[in-house]
Amino acid sequence: MTIFTVAFKYLRGRLVASTLTAVSVALGVSLVVASVLLARGIKEGFIAGATDYNLVVGAKGSPTQLVLSVVFRMDLATPNIEYTIYQDLEQDPRVEIAVPVGIGDAYQGFRYVATNGAYFAPFSWRRKTFSLSSGRFFADGPPNDATYEAVLGAKAADSTGLRIGDRFYEGEEMAEYPLTVVGILQPTHSADDRAIFFSLSSYWGMNEVARKMTVKPLTAVLVRPKRMSDLPSLHRELNVAAETQAVLPSGVLLTIFNMMAVAEDVLTMILAIVGVIVLLYVFVSMYSATLERRREIATMRALGARRTTVLGIVLAESCALAAAGGVAGILGGHAVAYLAGSLLARSGLVANPFLFNVLEPAVLGSVILLGTLAGLLPAILAYRTEVAENLAPLS
Amino acid sequence: MRAIGRYRTHLAASLFVALVPSILLAGTNEIPRLTFAQLVDSIRANSELTQSIQSYSGKEVEIRGFIIPAGPPDLSFFLLSRVSALGNYCCEMPVGQDETVYVFAAKEVKITYDPLRIFKIVGVFEAGMRTDAAYGPSLFRMRNATVEEALGAKIFKTEEIASPASKP
Repeated sequence: MTIFTVAFKYLRGRLVASTLTAVSVALGVSLVVASVLLARGIKEGFIAGATDYNLVVGAKGSPTQLVLSVVFRMDLATPNIEYTIYQDLEQDPRVEIAVPVGIGDAYQGFRYVATNGAYFAPFSWRRKTFSLSSGRFFADGPPNDATYEAVLGAKAADSTGLRIGDRFYEGEEMAEYPLTVVGILQPTHSADDRAIFFSLSSYWGMNEVARKMTVKPLTAVLVRPKRMSDLPSLHRELNVAAETQAVLPSGVLLTIFNMMAVAEDVLTMILAIVGVIVLLYVFVSMYSATLERRREIATMRALGARRTTVLGIVLAESCALAAAGGVAGILGGHAVAYLAGSLLARSGLVANPFLFNVLEPAVLGSVILLGTLAGLLPAILAYRTEVAENLAPLS
Repeated sequence: MRAIGRYRTHLAASLFVALVPSILLAGTNEIPRLTFAQLVDSIRANSELTQSIQSYSGKEVEIRGFIIPAGPPDLSFFLLSRVSALGNYCCEMPVGQDETVYVFAAKEVKITYDPLRIFKIVGVFEAGMRTDAAYGPSLFRMRNATVEEALGAKIFKTEEIASPASKP
């Protein structure tokens, strides 16, 4: 009989206590794994969903609100700017492309985004490409020629159940201007999957106030300069203007990441405490188990088992508990991250819970090592068990 | 006693022989530092550059400046500028391509981004007009760059500016 067979039999002998210890290790590890995966997944989601445009121009106010509403559709839209700002940027010799964006209400929680064909254009510098899974893009007519045609993002189409040719609206005031689905986009794995796109003429046509305005309103303009070195001057000019602010979307995201890093530091401290508690639990479990079976250990010793064999059995037990808990914890952590990621996706944040961290084998190794070390003191206790003392008659 | 003295002399001589070459070599391996003033001074008509700045092409150099996150938020690409683009432009006008370096990071940049902090960038320098498919034309670039905070970096070297009274 090997050390591992004996250790396994001992673990099976106190099944409930062994299972509870392994479960506590699994819960601790899954908490760590899920937290790390979610934090990383949210960050990766932000990076993957970031716009390819280098400047977002909108009304004066919060840069974070502007980027979160226009790029990620996660916040309320900032106040409007005038359409002439887009026209001026389009004429600016430093600008390669300017794309107007109007953020509207929503249908079943999926935001209306008014824009023109340039939003979907496949420029060579774009990481994100738009293609239709069915139908066509909306007609991009002049301001007074509203077609009320809509193109749905993949998630918006899937969740609402709308298909090509369906007409829809939400709210009484929109009943007069129902939108007709003319196209459905392929998934882009960004906030655009959750948007309903239509033309600016439809955007202005739906709104009573905008219909009467001579200078039409917009929420923002996405800008790509011809050369990146012109970005600072464009940024400055638009920021010193009375009506507009220009924001570097990556700068805003990096500021958000900095804030997330503070939360991650706090989380790391909490997780470290959880880890210590789990290790203490393994230690107490193994210690009490060793105390309980001192007589058995003394019998084994009397039958010829060496001290090192007894030490090895206790260490193998704690190692097995840590390994079982560690593996279950990593699997459980991925499951928790998947569920939490699905919930986050509903609020518009794309997180990838399937990311496999290259450090996970190292995490498992550390758990096994620390779990084994937690059993070291009980193992030494077993090692030092005196045969004569513990084989004395009980009565 | 004499033997101990001889031993000490031998030990000192051996250490000297062993350490001096490494000190000299360490001196030659120092990465040259370029300033934005040098970059500006190197530009001639039609975006031509001086031979002296071109001699740094293909070599590892250090440049310090403000990060302008013009590319993706993982900072795999960004602009390095003499002036911070996210300040309020209270005292400096924004710079153009003469004082902007396109930086392509070697690996994941792990810094706490601060638009108002100076960072030290070390990478392979490229001088000369070239157009990148993703980021357009540029005069100066750094590839395989590493980024770290430039602790204690001076923005203005006031001691180098001669006061009018000190002029002959």
